[in-house]
Amino acid sequence: MTQLPTNRMEAWRWTDLAALEAARSTDRGSAPALDGLWIEGDGPRLVFRDGMYQPKLSTPGEVSVEAISPATAHPLGAVTAGDGWRLTLAAEQTVAVIQIVHVATGGENHLPGVIELSRNADASIVETFVGAGWTNRLTTIRLAEGARLTRSVRLLQASGFVSLREEAEIGAAASLASIFLGAGKAASRIDGELVVTGDGGLAEMGGALLTRGEQRQECAVTVRHSALDGASRQIWRAVAADRSAASLAARVDVARGAQKTDGEQSLRGLLLHRTATVNLKPELEIFADDVKCAHGATVGELDKQALFYLQSRGLPQGPAKAMLTRAFVADAIDRIEDEAVREVFAADAEAWLNEAL
Amino acid sequence: MTDTAVAPKNAEALAAANKKYEWGFATEVEQEFAPKGLTEDTVRYISAKKDEPEWMLDWRLKAFRLWQTMEAPDWAKLNVPPIDYQDAYYYAEPKAKKTIASLDELDPEIRRTYEKLGIPIAEQEVLAGVEGARRVAVDAVFDSVSVATTFRKELEAAGVIFRSISEAIREYPDLVRQWLGKVVPMRDNYFATLNCAVFSDGTFVYIPEGVRCPMELSTYFRINAENTGQFERTLIVADKGAYVSYLEGCTAPMRDENQLHAAVVELVALDDAEIKYSTVQNWYPGDENGVGGIYNFVTKRALCQGRNSKVSWTQVETGSAITWKYPSCVLNGENSVGEFYSVAVTNGRQQADTGTKMIHNGKGSRSTIVSKGISAGRSDNTYRGLVRVAPAAEGVRNFTQCDSLLLGDQCGAHTVPYIEVRNPSAQIEHEASTSKISDDQMFYAMQRGLDQEAAVALIVNGFAKEVLQQLPMEFAVEAQKLLGISLEGSVG
Repeated sequence: MTQLPTNRMEAWRWTDLAALEAARSTDRGSAPALDGLWIEGDGPRLVFRDGMYQPKLSTPGEVSVEAISPATAHPLGAVTAGDGWRLTLAAEQTVAVIQIVHVATGGENHLPGVIELSRNADASIVETFVGAGWTNRLTTIRLAEGARLTRSVRLLQASGFVSLREEAEIGAAASLASIFLGAGKAASRIDGELVVTGDGGLAEMGGALLTRGEQRQECAVTVRHSALDGASRQIWRAVAADRSAASLAARVDVARGAQKTDGEQSLRGLLLHRTATVNLKPELEIFADDVKCAHGATVGELDKQALFYLQSRGLPQGPAKAMLTRAFVADAIDRIEDEAVREVFAADAEAWLNEAL
Repeated sequence: MTDTAVAPKNAEALAAANKKYEWGFATEVEQEFAPKGLTEDTVRYISAKKDEPEWMLDWRLKAFRLWQTMEAPDWAKLNVPPIDYQDAYYYAEPKAKKTIASLDELDPEIRRTYEKLGIPIAEQEVLAGVEGARRVAVDAVFDSVSVATTFRKELEAAGVIFRSISEAIREYPDLVRQWLGKVVPMRDNYFATLNCAVFSDGTFVYIPEGVRCPMELSTYFRINAENTGQFERTLIVADKGAYVSYLEGCTAPMRDENQLHAAVVELVALDDAEIKYSTVQNWYPGDENGVGGIYNFVTKRALCQGRNSKVSWTQVETGSAITWKYPSCVLNGENSVGEFYSVAVTNGRQQADTGTKMIHNGKGSRSTIVSKGISAGRSDNTYRGLVRVAPAAEGVRNFTQCDSLLLGDQCGAHTVPYIEVRNPSAQIEHEASTSKISDDQMFYAMQRGLDQEAAVALIVNGFAKEVLQQLPMEFAVEAQKLLGISLEGSVG
């Protein structure tokens, strides 16, 4: 196995690598129930248990399971080589919402995934992570001209560590929208590198990380623009309670010649308790002069005026705080277009807030 | 090293200087060098040369041994060619006169150097001894040793100690020992540790309790001898309720060899004290192909130790081939204030990775960061900043604004802000933007009769206005000119 990164490395300084090591050395246990994890719909459904495909529980549809040898330099992504899942769509093909549930029972498990959409193909994938242990994923995405992919990923593991690595190539006029919700109790790292290679491509990656207890979650996303007229959006929200830490690192690279790029970054952190930590790093690296790249970053507690307003309308302090926190998280989750999926994600966030507040 | 060996190169350098770098020239003064290379003997030589006490030598040697175990930092967005630390001189001092009683005794070569600096501020008059000249104290660092200190008496009457650091070590050992290395610890980073071992000279300022320093203090750094690294050490202590404004400005002659500059600046502000530290840096940036030019690896840090203390950094960075510089504030005092105003211009093949750190440890501490980066030519300009709020720091407020301006499509502008907050009552705001000079702006300025370069200079000065306003008057004028000259040839 390759060398794991350390906190001394600049790109990993906020990662809870101790939690990763601890999760790795746990023993396999029993699997949690899958009831209630499915979102209504008749699209393909797949279940992976500890990274192993479960044919009896799955209706794979267009998704195939096969050996995958990913070409990645990412230290955790490279570990995933082996059997994985692949979705390949022909030109103009569309499919119903694909759902994948990853169940982990302890120890470590690795799984690669590949999504290849041909011209003007359209797909939507929802992934859910439950269980315990170190769950490590690499998803390689290639979108041809005009292809459209929506990804919604929720991290609900009860313990352990979830590391996700996304590597995407976005062709001309193609669009990728990935929204992540970290509402479990496991530590996590959402690591992404999206490259917009075709003119007019759109890359969006964002979400909400909700942390409590001693939990540490982070995202580290880079969007690279190497073509004209590209757009990218990174909207991340972090809510940290207790002694937890949430870290948001988002970066936009604009290559030489990638003129007319429109990059948007919005990173905001909310601290619920005085012992919690939020780290932000909105980074820009720009080599072209005719671009629009702006970022905003704020950290703080709930707006006292807004709180006062709600209380003056008769809401007790608790529900008033919950309402404002919900609105804060909704900024990120409302980016999910599919209503059924959005409602399920909102309910997960709601459940987290009810427990944490 | 003899003069005859230097002279032909100077002639070449002068010929190469032409109009692009007005302040590129070399002055011939006899030098006394430490042997080339860096060993314990070099450290002992420097210490002996400066007649330092035992504890200082021990401190230097400890730093030198530590330095040998350290590695140069590589996290900055800089492409630094490998530096051969053995292929440089670590000590050079103008020979000739032992002590200078008055300015008339100043080496005429050095006098001419000041004239060629072309800085039309009061220092010229002060050096020429003009009656009624504006009071600016100049502690001129010519190469490594202070050769002229003016207004010392008046400062002493106010109780202000303004000395070269080597003098201060001899005359005020307890005071220096109390604070030296307290803000920037010996093991802070590779370049700071190197500085601890071999620092040649620098400035020490102590403002006693309740004193408002009667004049602005200024130092002109010049790097003058071929192949001499310059390792300045500055320590400014403002006691309770004291105020001081310190100006630092630099130009350097044309050279082919890369010159390393690893300075350390430490500021200490006690209760209710205020320090204003302004820098205009215009060292030789190298030619169009990036050959030559100064490496400016500087560690600057302020300790706002007392309640209501305030430190304000203002910098205009236009020179150097490579800049690695993060003037920072450790805000320990309750309601202490840190400010950072910066304009960094890169052109040609220059690289700059600069920014600040605001470490909020004190309750109610506040900080403001305004950074303006201007990139032109084939240069890279990075803002790197950290705002950290400790768990016990209630009611912290920070506002950060970093704007980048790109001139041309071959340059790069980067922003790397870190925000680490561990207290919910903190209010942290960060804004950034990246833009270029629009055709409309250029058209408007030019149809009013400005030529292209004047139009660019005007627009750039407007872009940097918020920072330039923070500079003392005569610096602001110089800085505006510098911005224009630095960007010559970058448009069109």
